Amino acid sequence: MKYPLIWFLKAYRLFISPLYGQVCRYHPSCSAYALEAVTVHGSIRGSWLAVRRLARCHPWAAGGYDPVPTRTTPTRGV
Amino acid sequence: MSFFGAIGSFIMQPLYYIISVILVGWHNLWSLILDPASGAAWALSIVGLTLVIRAALIPLFVKQIKSSRNMQLLQPKVKELQKKYGHDRERLAQETMALYKEAGTNPFASCLPILLQMPIFFALFRLLDQAAKFGKAHGVLDAEQAQQFAEAKLFGKVPLSATFLTADGDRAVQVMALVLVAAMLVTTFLTQRQLMTKNMPESALTGPYAQQQKMLLYVLPVVFAVGGVAFPIGVLIYWTVSNLWTMGQQFYVIRRNPAPGTPAAKAKAERDAHRAARKGITLETHTATETVEETEQEQRPAQRQQPKKQSRSQRSKKQPPKKSP
Repeated sequence: MKYPLIWFLKAYRLFISPLYGQVCRYHPSCSAYALEAVTVHGSIRGSWLAVRRLARCHPWAAGGYDPVPTRTTPTRGV
Repeated sequence: MSFFGAIGSFIMQPLYYIISVILVGWHNLWSLILDPASGAAWALSIVGLTLVIRAALIPLFVKQIKSSRNMQLLQPKVKELQKKYGHDRERLAQETMALYKEAGTNPFASCLPILLQMPIFFALFRLLDQAAKFGKAHGVLDAEQAQQFAEAKLFGKVPLSATFLTADGDRAVQVMALVLVAAMLVTTFLTQRQLMTKNMPESALTGPYAQQQKMLLYVLPVVFAVGGVAFPIGVLIYWTVSNLWTMGQQFYVIRRNPAPGTPAAKAKAERDAHRAARKGITLETHTATETVEETEQEQRPAQRQQPKKQSRSQRSKKQPPKKSP
C-alpha cells in the first residue's frame, strides 16, 4: 500500500500540482508533507498525518514552517 | 476494494446531486429559448455550472487579495531573508513561511478548498462520462435527460460525451478537442504572464517561486494535452470556461487593485492622474489623496511593529530570571 501511495503522490506533484502553482500556506507544502510522511511513517500513519495537515491548511490558518515529525518524536493526539 | 468503493460513493453522491441540480436547473433555463435536446442547450448548461461554482469561490479569492496587499508591507523583510538565505532554498522557504506566520498574513490560498474542488471536477467527469456511455442517471438528472444529454451534439456534429481518443477519426470531435486545449493553454499562459510581468515586484521574480513558475510552463502543456485527449468535450468545456474565469478575474484585479511597487500599479496611477486631469480636477486633490495614502502606509507598519517591540522587551525582561537558575 505504501508504494502505490508514493507513486500517486509523485504523479500528483508532477502533473496536477503545477496547475495550481503555489497554494499551500505551509512549508513543506501539503503534498510534499504527505510524500515525506508516507515515506517515513508508512501508509497508515503517514496518510493520517497527511489528512491532518490538509485539515490544517484552510483559509484561516496562519501557515508557517511545519515539518513532518520524525519517527522518534511522538505526535500529539493519535 | 469494495470498502474504498463505499467511501467513494459516500463522498460522490452529494456531489452528483449538487452538480445535477445546477446542471438541470440551467438546462431548464436554456430550454426556454433553445431546443432542449440540442448540444448548445447542454453545453451552455455546463458553462452555467462552471460560472456558479466559480462565483461561489469569489469570497475566498477576495480574502486572498486582501492578504496579498498586506504582503507588500512585509516585502522589505522578505528581501532581507532572501539576502540572508538566498543560497539555501530550503532554509529560505522555511524562514519566509515562518515570517508569514509571525505577521499573521499569508499570500497563499491554502490547500483544502482546492482539494474540495477536485471531487467536483471528478464528479462532473463521471456524470458526463456515464450519462454518455450508457445514459446513466445521477442525482436529479434522470435517465431520460441523461440519454438526451448523451445524444446532444454541439453544432449538430460534436457529441458532448465524445473524447479525442474515442473519436474514431471523427474530425469534428478532434478539431473541437484541439480548439479547447489550445484555448486552455492560451488562457493559462496569458494569466501567468500577466501575473509575472505586471503584478509582481522585481524581488519576487527571482528565487524559488520564480523557478516553480518556470517549471509550470513546461508541465502545463503536457497536462492539458493528456487531459484534452482523454476527457469528453463536456468536461473540456467546463475546464476552459473555468480557465477563462480565472483570467478575467485576474485581469480585473490587476487593473483595479494592483500590488504596490509593480508595473501594474504604475499604470493605474497614470490612468488615475489622466482621468483626474480630464475631469479638470486640480492636482491639489490628487496629491492630497496621495499623502493620505502615504500616511496610512506609514502608520500601518508602525502599528504592526509595536507589539513585536514590546514582546521583545518583555522577553528580554523575562530572560534574566531564566538564566539565573
